[in-house]
Amino acid sequence: MAELGRAALLVTLGLSAYALVAGGYAAWRGRRRLAHSARNALIASFFSTLAAALVLVAGFVRDDFSLAYVAGHSSRALPTPYKLSAFWGGQEGSLLLWLLVLNAYAALAVWLARKRAKDLVVWVTPVLAGIALGFTWLLVAVSSPFDVIAAPADGSGLNPSLQNPYMVVHPVALYLGYVGLAVPFAFAMGALLSGRTDERWIVATRRWTIVAWTALGVGQLLGAHWAYQEVGWGGYYAWDPVENAALMPWLAATAFLHSVMIQEKRGMLRIWNVTLVSLAFCLSLFGTFLTRSGVVTSIHSFTKSSIGPWFLGFIVVAVVFAVTMIWLRLPQLRTTAKLESLVSREAAFLYNNLLLVALCLTILWGTAWPMVSEAVRGQTMVVGRPYFDFFLRVFGLPLLLLMGIGPLVAWRRASLRGLLRTFAWPAGAALATGVVLIALGAGSSIPGLVAYTFSAFVLATIALEFTRGTQARRALTGEPVPTAFGRLIGRNRRRYGGYVVHAAIVLLAIGVAGSSAYDSVTEGRLAKGQALTVGGYTLTYRSLGEREGANATEIRAVLDVRRGGKELGPLEAGKNAYSVEQQVSNEVGIRTDYLTGEDLYVIAEQVNDDGTVFFRIFVKPLVNLIWLAGLVFVLGSVITLWPDAREERRLATRYARAAERSDTHATT
Amino acid sequence: MIALSVASVLAVFLLYTSLAGGGTPSVSPSQLATKTGEVALAGKVVGTPTGDPHGAGMRFVVEDIDGTSKQRATVLYKGSVPDMFRTGRDVVVTGTQDANGLFVTKPGSMITKCPSKYQAADTPS
Repeated sequence: MAELGRAALLVTLGLSAYALVAGGYAAWRGRRRLAHSARNALIASFFSTLAAALVLVAGFVRDDFSLAYVAGHSSRALPTPYKLSAFWGGQEGSLLLWLLVLNAYAALAVWLARKRAKDLVVWVTPVLAGIALGFTWLLVAVSSPFDVIAAPADGSGLNPSLQNPYMVVHPVALYLGYVGLAVPFAFAMGALLSGRTDERWIVATRRWTIVAWTALGVGQLLGAHWAYQEVGWGGYYAWDPVENAALMPWLAATAFLHSVMIQEKRGMLRIWNVTLVSLAFCLSLFGTFLTRSGVVTSIHSFTKSSIGPWFLGFIVVAVVFAVTMIWLRLPQLRTTAKLESLVSREAAFLYNNLLLVALCLTILWGTAWPMVSEAVRGQTMVVGRPYFDFFLRVFGLPLLLLMGIGPLVAWRRASLRGLLRTFAWPAGAALATGVVLIALGAGSSIPGLVAYTFSAFVLATIALEFTRGTQARRALTGEPVPTAFGRLIGRNRRRYGGYVVHAAIVLLAIGVAGSSAYDSVTEGRLAKGQALTVGGYTLTYRSLGEREGANATEIRAVLDVRRGGKELGPLEAGKNAYSVEQQVSNEVGIRTDYLTGEDLYVIAEQVNDDGTVFFRIFVKPLVNLIWLAGLVFVLGSVITLWPDAREERRLATRYARAAERSDTHATT
Repeated sequence: MIALSVASVLAVFLLYTSLAGGGTPSVSPSQLATKTGEVALAGKVVGTPTGDPHGAGMRFVVEDIDGTSKQRATVLYKGSVPDMFRTGRDVVVTGTQDANGLFVTKPGSMITKCPSKYQAADTPS
């Protein structure tokens, strides 16, 4: 079996190398048939990678412990779903998943764009093949999942913290995101290589970017939810390097998604866009590097690995290549379109971009600071939570406000009078919200108050847009409200899907602000019958029990919860002691109030021999809006992604026009 | 205009870093002797921890993670103890060294290094 896997990877290596060399030559010399064959090789390399992946899956399913990787990450007793997810439980399998996802994206992207963006695909093929070649090389020569050992009787099992439904889905979603950013990057580089620097590469990759960006966002939220429910320290994001690794490319991709609209509409920001997409892709390589090399002090990784230097090499090659290409094409990328006014849609998008990139780069600086300071001063320095929280507020709050302003400002030049008219209602709503919140005592946290006021403003603008659109449609067609509302969204999927995503981000902001700025916490050692009071809840420690679970001893403390004289029933919190792995894990008790989105969160930190328990209890207002935001986010993304025949026709004409312009440009 | 915005972003950044400094030094037990002030101490737990972290404090001993030096440091810790904490694990605690050489931590500052999820292939778990 192992030979089959290794052979499949060797075939992939050959196909990728061929697609790179032949494809590059064909594109350079304009050999059409050779370019076709290179493209087909790239598509074929997906199938050979798939074969290799299936061999590894078969190894896990059949408990083939002669494969060192299977023996190291699985055991006979492991439930089948976790045998499948053990595929990406270690480094070699994760790399193989990376390559599989990359080749799937590559094959689909070049196949779907083969007619429309013919001249681009010719150049995109070698770029994608180059990326795939790098990863295949790692899998073949440096870190092979098909190393063979004398089969032990049983495998050493999968780490308990990975035996969790979240850890089945979360890594896959993240990888779909990281790797998906390779597609817009490859098309951007293809556009630069071919010298056709019009906006077609953007139009051709819009959906790919959104898919990758959505997957990356969902992956992070799943990770946050896992941390909140399973890790049990009372939070969901700790600015850990590995978490930042996923946040940074997401921020860069968010900036990119916005700035490409300016290029589509006004032909501006071309240099900026290719720079942003390169940044996003390089950051996703950097993210993989961080999680895989253990170079930064981090909760998740401490061990040194063999692939670190290789990854660093890849990142350097990618950066040098992107910078060189942008440098060489600077003359073609320059545009004549100028920003006409500082009060316009373009300007608002530009501010949005600057803030997003500033946030992204400050996070990068904070994440890389231990490495940088060690290299420069010989002393590793770490920056903590205050650093990141500070910049999240300084750049994040204005971003929130811009989310309300940007979509409603006119293109080119907005008049002050028009602005006043547009924003009278939302500004009023925001002010009213602010006043009410101060009356309710929300003034205890200024950033929280600002966040809520801005959130109200943005939600009001979104509601206003939906209402106005529906009314305009009703006036035009006489449709009833639900029909008009539905068709309004259906006819303008990008726009209204975008608003839904904005609403999701507002929900996220409200949830984050609520649970971080207005949470309450208390802690103390309780004997049976004693109680703690926090945030209006009174918790009385009732009893302590012990039961045997499937693979762990479960110790549970039972607390009676009361609020305002009303019994809310018992809540359990405790610890699981895993016998085989000799590991103890906190099992937190969470009581969700679905009406207010508030969580009561109980950690039984220490169970003492005399039956007393040290509890740490949080009340986290509105925290559930964060998870709700995830659902709304996906809904909005799906709306923008949903195929639209009318839009397809519009795009087809634009392609043709752009190609024409580009041709005349090339000949003159 | 763009230059102005970039400059203002840069100004905010520099303002913060100059006020808050360049972060906390991260040191190993063998480097601890030369450091004063607040540091992040990264080490491997050896021996058996004693005492109550929610009472008078828990004491444990750490040594260099890479094992190159046998110099050790004793840590006095109060506050939440992560699940992953036990003998043999790598931890980071933030605090200062007192006159007697005891490393007194800020309450609740312990982070454990999970060696499992992203381990290199050749490290047995």
